[in-house]
Amino acid sequence: MTAKHTTSLLLEIGCEEIPARFLEAAQRDLGDCIAKALAQARLMGESSVAQTYSTPRRLVVHVPSILLKQPARTEEVTGPPVKAAFDSLGNPTRAAESFAAKYGKQVADLRRVTRPKGEYLSLEVSEEGRDTLQVLVEVLPSAIGQLTFPKSMYWTSKSGVRFVRPIRWILALMGEGASAQVIPFEFAGLKSGNETRGHRILGPGGVPVDGFARYAQTLRERGVEFDPQWRRKLLRLFIDASLRTEGTGKTADLARKVFYPAGSLADYIARAEGLQKEMETLPKPVDLTIVTDAELETWHVNSTETPRALVGHFNERFLRLPREVLVTVMRDHQKYFAVEDGEGHLRPCFVAVLNTRTEDESLIKRGHERVLAARFTDAEFFWQADQRVSLRDRAPMLARVIYQEKLGTYADKVNRTLLLCREIFQQLPASLGITSAKKHAALEAIQLCKCDLTTQMVQEFTELQGIVGGLYAQAQGQSAEVAEAIYDHYKPGNMEDSCPRSVVGCLVALSDKLDTVVAGFWAGLDPTGSSDQFGLRRAGNGVVKIAAERLPGLHLDGLAHRHLSTGVGAEPNSPIERRVKDFLQERVEYYLREVVKLRYDTTRAVVNSSLGWSDPSDAVLRGKALESLIDSADYRALSLAAKRTRNILMKSAADEEAGMNHLAPELMKEAEEQSLYDAFTSIQKRLVELEARSDYEAAFRELGGMRQPIDGFFDQVLVMAEQPEVRANRLALLSAINTQVFSRLADLSEVAADDGGAEKAGASENRRGG
Amino acid sequence: MSGGMTFQDMMIRLSQYWASRGCVIALPFDLEVGAGTMCPETFFRVLGAAPWRVAYVQPSRRPADGRYGENPNRLVKHTQLQVILKPPPDDVQDLYLDSLESIGINLREHDVRFEEDNWESPTLGAWGVGWQVMLDGLEITQFTYFQQCGGIDLDPVSVELTYGLERIAAFLQNVNNVFDVQWNELTRYGELRLKEELEISVYDFEAADPDFCRQEFDLCEKEALRLLSVWKREKRLVGQERKEAAKERAGREPAANGSGPSSPPWADPKRFPLQKVFELCLKCSHLFNILDARGAISVTERAGLIGRVRRLACRVAEIDVQRKARAMEAQPA
Repeated sequence: MTAKHTTSLLLEIGCEEIPARFLEAAQRDLGDCIAKALAQARLMGESSVAQTYSTPRRLVVHVPSILLKQPARTEEVTGPPVKAAFDSLGNPTRAAESFAAKYGKQVADLRRVTRPKGEYLSLEVSEEGRDTLQVLVEVLPSAIGQLTFPKSMYWTSKSGVRFVRPIRWILALMGEGASAQVIPFEFAGLKSGNETRGHRILGPGGVPVDGFARYAQTLRERGVEFDPQWRRKLLRLFIDASLRTEGTGKTADLARKVFYPAGSLADYIARAEGLQKEMETLPKPVDLTIVTDAELETWHVNSTETPRALVGHFNERFLRLPREVLVTVMRDHQKYFAVEDGEGHLRPCFVAVLNTRTEDESLIKRGHERVLAARFTDAEFFWQADQRVSLRDRAPMLARVIYQEKLGTYADKVNRTLLLCREIFQQLPASLGITSAKKHAALEAIQLCKCDLTTQMVQEFTELQGIVGGLYAQAQGQSAEVAEAIYDHYKPGNMEDSCPRSVVGCLVALSDKLDTVVAGFWAGLDPTGSSDQFGLRRAGNGVVKIAAERLPGLHLDGLAHRHLSTGVGAEPNSPIERRVKDFLQERVEYYLREVVKLRYDTTRAVVNSSLGWSDPSDAVLRGKALESLIDSADYRALSLAAKRTRNILMKSAADEEAGMNHLAPELMKEAEEQSLYDAFTSIQKRLVELEARSDYEAAFRELGGMRQPIDGFFDQVLVMAEQPEVRANRLALLSAINTQVFSRLADLSEVAADDGGAEKAGASENRRGG
Repeated sequence: MSGGMTFQDMMIRLSQYWASRGCVIALPFDLEVGAGTMCPETFFRVLGAAPWRVAYVQPSRRPADGRYGENPNRLVKHTQLQVILKPPPDDVQDLYLDSLESIGINLREHDVRFEEDNWESPTLGAWGVGWQVMLDGLEITQFTYFQQCGGIDLDPVSVELTYGLERIAAFLQNVNNVFDVQWNELTRYGELRLKEELEISVYDFEAADPDFCRQEFDLCEKEALRLLSVWKREKRLVGQERKEAAKERAGREPAANGSGPSSPPWADPKRFPLQKVFELCLKCSHLFNILDARGAISVTERAGLIGRVRRLACRVAEIDVQRKARAMEAQPA
């Protein structure tokens, strides 16, 4: 495609400040809408790409190359069926005539085409390619109109356009330089034009541009970095610079050197890189770094046009408040980065991000410092006021805090959780060595862990629930074990998060979360599709992770069963139990795949085995052991044999012969039959011993010994023998092998029988062995 | 005093600024309200189609924010400057920024940000979309494109600007404690207000009798519902039954069906005391806030009480819109 056949497109939608959390999606969606519309209008050439940018005040699409003229196209239009198009004399009917007339043709011009339903009249319509400008005039407003937002608004009247925030200008240009022209259209009551606008303060007013090159330069000169990737770089650079020059008075010097005046992009990049190098040579006056926070960084990228950073300070006395409170106030309420020293201790300073630049930042700095001091004073007030009533004295208040309509108050939840935790004590294997003192601490922590919901600190900083309770418990003289368990009891917040630090914390967290799951299902709060308002999936994931990593030997299905009847008072054998167990099994599968990183088929094999999923820690051991052997030839062959065994048993299940009879060794006539039986009995005996020691790797290796005898058996012996008692005996042998060997530790028939099959979901179900 | 404008000068300058942009400078409303939005000059005027521009200073009470005058930045009663621009002009953000310049804020020396914040008042059935305006990290104004009020979609939309005057004054005067703000050259904010802050906080947090507040809430609601029930009866007569009713009135005694006395003279739509219904609704709202600050409301009860206040507010808005529509119909004739 030569240059003269293409042109470019630049679209900027100028808005009042778009919320940071919507910006990335809005930028992407506008790009997609425009690219799709251009493709539909046949304007995208082979090399056409829509590049997108954004700032809080603009969404930008730049397509460097689109076709200058829409290609012509011909299209086959199908008319009425021939049967209806001509009467019995062969004369055209009204249907035929009006079809032809619609396209300005005679009936004689029409062709006949055969379609699956019969013969039809048809017509080739050709459409001239139109000028791109004309097409864009129609396409752009309708593409913009297709954008949707999680929350949109009207800004004049209800008959007006809805958008994320009011649109104040539209720049729409085709072409670059002298050939650039405005694509004239109207949207949201605005006429498109060739003007952009700079930074509110640094470059106000409209400025005409004649294409992307000028656009980019104009904006950079007027204090707008419109490329979010560049803003991120600048932000990091300035944060680094502000910390390195902290206390030296050099920040402004350095910044001035680099960013006044803006100049061309190349200069700008060169200067930015120069600054970086210069900074690296600077001696560091103090060892300060920001507490890394990717989410906060992205928020700043998406809420600035010209990011800058400054370091502010606060009174050291506030460092007596817990780190968690300080960081939350700085991050969530003021959008500041907390600062720590080389040893990870918070320093009495912070980094604030600005969206402007001034010669003298001291005024702005003082403003931020004053606001933060006021916030910390507030937190100090909450801390002191909350201490007047201890967590223990707050426990009765929980009877007034609703947990969920059907599930009562938090006091009710605490009581259920206590019951569940006592059930867990019954089940805990002695090997965990949990003393009665620890058990006592867990029950104590459960009684106190929700009490912080009644404190002012948590009402103000809800994200600190649990943490505040733990800090208060510590301040109020509770044992470290109890305080820590309360602090940690919302952990793990997700699969990447760690479990509570202590075993007591794990007992509290698991009891709390399993109650949330079981009671949640009982109240009909089942998660569906993408919606999980009550957070049951997260709670379920937490249960599985804690059980798998910290509380081996717990059986979740037994606990769920007991808790349903004794904890929430469901009818025995209610269908809820099935749903809860299916849900927990799903969570275990998720954990095995996503955290343990087991293959899909290994995961299925483990959870569908007789030992099953109920003890997640055991499922992990079996899964890992199986996966270390699974790729051997023996295992692929064994998998085929297991599938074949299962198929035979399934087919004969109708006879109800299989497994019903005791094995009668005297009925085993064939040598292969006899040796299979011998191998089975000796291997099975070894498996029982190895299983008791959880030595699954040895067990799976032992299991490999089944390969030759089972293959020999299938080669030489006809299972469906003539004599009913011989047939029954053979089926009984296979059934015993199936339940006690092939699907005991892992269901080997789930193992993918060939290489590479493991990755495909459902692969094992679709293949037939034997 | 460390330079910067006094508190009263700030009120005067901002009022002058908005007066020069065509705003009526209205009086503060003489009831306890949680925000300037709850004043009739906002609540009623944003409903309906008539254009409107107003600015007024409004002392606003939020019992839960009380700190006995001990916290340098939180007040149970703070002063808002409320501006309504209906419909909003295209350059409304610039107008707002200019207003900051008018009280001596040089925007080139500061960092002004519009951060997403969508305002909502569940008790008024009102919400909007907009920002909190941050000046060097300090929230100084709530800037809202009002979308709904009293449960009714607004058409046209109004922009509502709510300035937090104490904060701005402390900022301008560079003082760390709001009670040190100069009200004028001679008098500090604390001299005028500290005692009041302490006493209101003591009442709201400690002394208030929840039973009394609950009873007063019930009484105010009952009175409001009594007034509304009369409007309800009148409204039914407006439609098909109007003729029959007229016939009835002309011909015989009012229908003696035991449904109570005939409509009082104030049931006449033109004289109906809707303003008073609204005031009773505001009283309920404030009593709810006291009960809430007192910690006397459970979570379920909370939703119920909010719902009761909102139902009154929505009913008021509905009647107001009906009356305005009727007035429009009447005009051409």
